[in-house]
Amino acid sequence: MKKRIIISLFTGIALFALFVGAGNKPPEPKPTWLEFKIPQGWPKPATDIFAKNRLSEEGFQLGKKLFHDGRLSKDGNFPCASCHQQFGAFASYDHDLSHGYNNTFTTRNAPGLFNLAWMPKFHWDGGVNHIEVQPLSPITAPNEMAENLDSVLRKLRKDTAYPKLFKAAFGSTEINSQRMLKALAQFTGSIVSANSKYDKVQRGEATFTPGELNGYNFFKANCAGCHKEPLFTDYSFRNTGLAASPFLNDQGRMKITGNKADSLKFKVPSLRNVMLTFPYMHDGRFYSLGAVIDHYRTGIITTQPTLDSLLTKRIAISNREKNELIYFLNTLTDTSMTRNPRFAEKTTYFSH
Amino acid sequence: MKNRPFSIPLFLLVVFCLAGFRKNDCCAQQPGLLKISFVNTVKGNPLQLDSTIYTNPFSETYTVTKFKYYISNIALAFPDGIFKEIDSYHLVNAADPSSLSFVFTASPNTYQSLLFTIGVDSLKNVSGAQTGPLDPLNDMFWTWNSGYVMAKVEGRSPQSKVVNNKVEYHIGGFSGAHNVLKKLRLDFPAGMILNVGEGKTSEIIIEADLESWWQHPTDIKIAENPVCTTPGELAKKISDNYSKMFSIKNIINH
Repeated sequence: MKKRIIISLFTGIALFALFVGAGNKPPEPKPTWLEFKIPQGWPKPATDIFAKNRLSEEGFQLGKKLFHDGRLSKDGNFPCASCHQQFGAFASYDHDLSHGYNNTFTTRNAPGLFNLAWMPKFHWDGGVNHIEVQPLSPITAPNEMAENLDSVLRKLRKDTAYPKLFKAAFGSTEINSQRMLKALAQFTGSIVSANSKYDKVQRGEATFTPGELNGYNFFKANCAGCHKEPLFTDYSFRNTGLAASPFLNDQGRMKITGNKADSLKFKVPSLRNVMLTFPYMHDGRFYSLGAVIDHYRTGIITTQPTLDSLLTKRIAISNREKNELIYFLNTLTDTSMTRNPRFAEKTTYFSH
Repeated sequence: MKNRPFSIPLFLLVVFCLAGFRKNDCCAQQPGLLKISFVNTVKGNPLQLDSTIYTNPFSETYTVTKFKYYISNIALAFPDGIFKEIDSYHLVNAADPSSLSFVFTASPNTYQSLLFTIGVDSLKNVSGAQTGPLDPLNDMFWTWNSGYVMAKVEGRSPQSKVVNNKVEYHIGGFSGAHNVLKKLRLDFPAGMILNVGEGKTSEIIIEADLESWWQHPTDIKIAENPVCTTPGELAKKISDNYSKMFSIKNIINH
């Protein structure tokens, strides 16, 4: 009896397959789908950036190539990677402001690019609301890549490799802005930093030194209100009591919201890889962590009306606590990310 | 005989397979087509880009170099319900004749009103990279403060004291107090009936009069406000003005 059922079903399926197969070309090879893994103990991202941009090996590789391609800039000299360097946790290493087209400077410090899948809003002022549209800003800004989208797409279409890579990632050779931006998001959104010494301690694979542990305890009591674990930011916008630069006069979040209450507020940056992302603050005014800590203990301008409520009395930090805090912040460096050949332009780059 | 119950599923499976490959469902209504056309005007006269010098209600003179706006979420109302266009996003660009009309399938019915949004709904403003009419290539997307420019007028005026006497109104902002999105319902005037018939193309001709940008409820004088390129109070006021720019000019039932 059961055999009969099975045979009937198989016959049906076979007939069905014949119908489908008849007159159709063999199916195109599908992209190799990838699963985005959330590190153990981490929260789920508020929105799944890969829900409508399914992550694939081909999409990731295309995004990586675009990220390193100077043709996304007007004169060819400014790929995304020129300001977002892997060895500097994808920030601009040792630059307060980054260099743009025709001897220009950017107006803010380039942030490190990692754990972007958790980031609800982009830019120091939160003006960009989705990872996919973020690259439009640097590509078109006259003091960054200084290009226009149409010109970028024309250059990519002329290339011999790109049509094939777009086909592998998205099913056809068509090159359009949506596909380019989705591929870039697959690359940048895949960069996860979750394997620092701090993470190993959390997983029970390593232990803090006594100094690091003291620093961690001080951090939890005094810094974690904004730099929330495990991402080391709560993504809020806050005024940390810095004087506005007379040159830049950057009003921060207020530029986006038009609300006076947001004057001088900037996004809380992650402290992961903080040893590599110097100089610090939205305009890169402090070159060392010591200078940043000194700002929090003695430099905060407490008369600013929008100063964050957690900072109105500054933060009391002894010299010993300062040193221990820096010991702890050192444990947030993740060389398995900064040296991961998967994120490098050439996979042999860090092999020596 | 005892085999029969098992051959029935097989038979049904084959029938379903065959049914799935039939080209037309026997009973489905054939859809009609609806064409929507826009005629851009100034004080009722066809808009001439670049060349014609216009005068606004405050005796300020200006030329128009660009006039673009998004029309989205189009729907047609009949007494018992509405028909909605799927994936309904259109960019009308006065400089591009092919953008001035578009056609979509609509279910046959007699309709009494046209509904649409001026601009792009908030969801599409926060959903990442889009394509087609919503492609940032269309120069209607802000890169530094994500969101679509819902409507845009650019031109020149001697009353503008900014660089090159520019007049630039890029109106956007999709949330909060300064949301500029406008949902319109245009009832068809008495004597005009829209009949969408099976296999036929009907047409709605809409006039968009740029003159409405300047006043009612707020006077917008070029001398005072030649530029508005950020979301905010001024953009909201201009959008309140232009929300009245559309009117049904004609309906053609073929």
